[in-house]
Amino acid sequence: MKKKVLLMGASGSGKTSMRSMIFSNNPASLTSRLGATIDVEQNHVRFLGDLILNLWDCGGQDAFMDSYLTTQRSTIFSHVGVMIYVFDVEMREPEMSKDLDYYQECLGSLAQFSKDASVFLLVHKMDLVREGERAAILLKKTKELEKESRDVSVKVFGTSIYDETLYKAWSNIVNTLIPNAQNLSKHLRKFADACSATEVILFERTTFLVIATSSNPDSSDSFPPDTVATHALDPKRYERTSELIKAFKQSCSRLREEFHSLEMELSEFTAVLDEMTKNTYVLVVVHNPIVETAAIKMNIRMARRKFEELQGDSLVS
Amino acid sequence: MASMQDSLALKPSNDFARRTKILLMGTKRSGKTSIQQVLFNNLPPKQTFYIEPTKRITKHAFDTFIPLEIWDCPGDVTVDSLDTPLSEFTTILFVIDIRALYQEPISKLVEFMVAAHQVNPDINFEVFLHKAEKLMEDDKIEYYRLIHEGVMDRLADESPEYEQVPLNFHLTSVYDHSLQDAFSHVLHKLVDSLSFLEDLLNIFCSNTSSPKAFLFDTTSRLYVATDASPVDQATHNLCCDYLYMLNAFGPLFKSNMTNDSSPPDQSPSTPPPTAITSPSTSLASPNPIHPNIGPPTVSNLPKTLPMTPGSKPVFYPSASTSLSPSHPGTTLTYHLVTPHLALLALLPSEVYEMRRGLVEWNVVWFREGIREIWEVEREGRSGKGP
Ligand SMILES: Nc1nc2c(ncn2[C@@H]2O[C@H](COP(=O)(O)OP(=O)(O)OP(=O)(O)O)[C@@H](O)[C@H]2O)c(=O)[nH]1
Ligand SMILES: Nc1nc2c(ncn2[C@@H]2O[C@H](COP(=O)(O)OP(=O)(O)O)[C@@H](O)[C@H]2O)c(=O)[nH]1
Ligand SMILES: [Mg+2]
Repeated sequence: MKKKVLLMGASGSGKTSMRSMIFSNNPASLTSRLGATIDVEQNHVRFLGDLILNLWDCGGQDAFMDSYLTTQRSTIFSHVGVMIYVFDVEMREPEMSKDLDYYQECLGSLAQFSKDASVFLLVHKMDLVREGERAAILLKKTKELEKESRDVSVKVFGTSIYDETLYKAWSNIVNTLIPNAQNLSKHLRKFADACSATEVILFERTTFLVIATSSNPDSSDSFPPDTVATHALDPKRYERTSELIKAFKQSCSRLREEFHSLEMELSEFTAVLDEMTKNTYVLVVVHNPIVETAAIKMNIRMARRKFEELQGDSLVS
Repeated sequence: MASMQDSLALKPSNDFARRTKILLMGTKRSGKTSIQQVLFNNLPPKQTFYIEPTKRITKHAFDTFIPLEIWDCPGDVTVDSLDTPLSEFTTILFVIDIRALYQEPISKLVEFMVAAHQVNPDINFEVFLHKAEKLMEDDKIEYYRLIHEGVMDRLADESPEYEQVPLNFHLTSVYDHSLQDAFSHVLHKLVDSLSFLEDLLNIFCSNTSSPKAFLFDTTSRLYVATDASPVDQATHNLCCDYLYMLNAFGPLFKSNMTNDSSPPDQSPSTPPPTAITSPSTSLASPNPIHPNIGPPTVSNLPKTLPMTPGSKPVFYPSASTSLSPSHPGTTLTYHLVTPHLALLALLPSEVYEMRRGLVEWNVVWFREGIREIWEVEREGRSGKGP
């Protein structure tokens, strides 16, 4: 199964940088060496075995944008699964108005050629905004962008390549491309119960984006009450874990080693991060001090085959 | 952080009679406060951009294997305005922006060296050529050579006797682990019992076939000691990154419901509790159960053992990460040995997986050794010991 993902936005807004961090495991410090993208750079990334992401990184200089919206229009905007439009948070007038015009034309083209595509808007380089002001600025931008989007429903995220926000946004994006992610979550919940785990998180192997978790998103009205709700864990734990593991993987590769697995028996919790299937990693977090990592590892080993099957099913829509 | 100063103010040297004092100085904007904050206050390097100029001398207490007191100075401090005899300091750490190829920092360094030498010829002089990440590899060496030569020439002008004064240069940057590495070397000269710590590490390495082991301070990520094998940069970086990750994971999945298994007392004044865990702890045989059947898996051996009857059980956090799934792979292990110190070791995965009991037994033994050396250090400081 192939899904086309369009990366659009003004030149210098950060599209190629985020792509190189998420899909090529490059550190943020290397992004300053990237040159402007000329025309469209197409990439096929195998994501979760049979799901192939067809990334179209569209260079954002005006000349290219004009051509996307005219001569190349049907090529660019046909068969799109997701369009991601990146806005530089520091962009001011008059560039901003021009960028919004381009954005609206992109929406128009999508409506014509791929009316079911989802649209994600990233307000990027949030690290340049002082920490105390980030929430307010993001809220203001979100309102603005929602208004500009008229009747198209969009999801807005604030992002930066220097922190975990990038992983949160991209996990949400790829989740719309996995048809039966709910089914995976259901089985993760069963697995969590079997391991006495507070929480189980499934990651895609190369990007370490979160594919599914055992936590019930609407646990407030579930019965019996969700264990996680009573444990009140850090709300940023998913994207922070992606970020931390990706960074550690980089330091391993600098030593020409390859990160394989992690076990922790810390005073706060016990956890194992290990391969689940050929394309996924699983993190099992346990707060019951009697459970040892060796037991968790054994459970993961025994659940592998089941999850290989489920993963295959989850991609059949 | 304010708390460090507060704690110093609240209990002026009650546990340790004498803190080892380090004078952190150098010209304006050279990066002194950044160094102090990144190492001892967990400030993210990028945030150093917002640091305000230091107006007056600020003392920062930091407890690691030995108690330190770091004096952060304003750029214009002089021997006279310091108001404290230089003999009070064990080390003078002089920070120079590596790109500052003018005379001012050099004159100042030489002025302090001459003054310090008169009151205490044994004082350690350490020079951090800072912000080194801004230069290309070749330029770093060239700038280092120029500054080094400049200092040596000026010293020779003062008096030939200064040619013998040991002076150590380090290339540092807050943006990589060169800063931790350099400061670790500064620290090593201050630990009287260093050779005993190194012996323990050497024994650990030979008993477990470990090619490299460090005793790390977990919060600052400085290493207090390492075994005799040479430290390569990449391995050191990996260990620093590993500690960073583990430190970050703790609070991330901390539950407000967890209670019992609290870590050893965080107060540095309390000696770490004696470990009475036996080698068999590690040989726990799990009873895993297929996820689809049966009750939760529970292993049959407790992770925590009572230290003395009636007291709270002691739990020592540990972690391991296996690098490369293929054989022979390497495993990087982490074992907390005191509230602030952890043993980090590279082990052949084969040893870690097949002979876990041996490794754990050596950790227990190592922990005991560290505790004993630490107690001697402590007694020496409080004036009770020899
Ligand atoms: N401060 C900050 N800078 C960023 C961030 N993301 C990217 N950048 C920088 O922005 C610059 C431009 O990034 P690119 O990824 O080449 O931009 P692009 O959108 O691909 O540009 P075109 O290919 O011309 O359309 C680079 O110097 C990046 O280092 C971010 O989150 N914060
Ligand atoms: N490039 C670079 N800049 C640094 C480094 N360390 C500190 N700085 C910057 O140098 C400036 C001065 O730092 P500060 O700690 O206030 O210097 P002080 O006056 O010596 O205490 C700040 O803007 C820091 O961000 C480094 O390793 N590399
Ligand atoms: Mg680009």
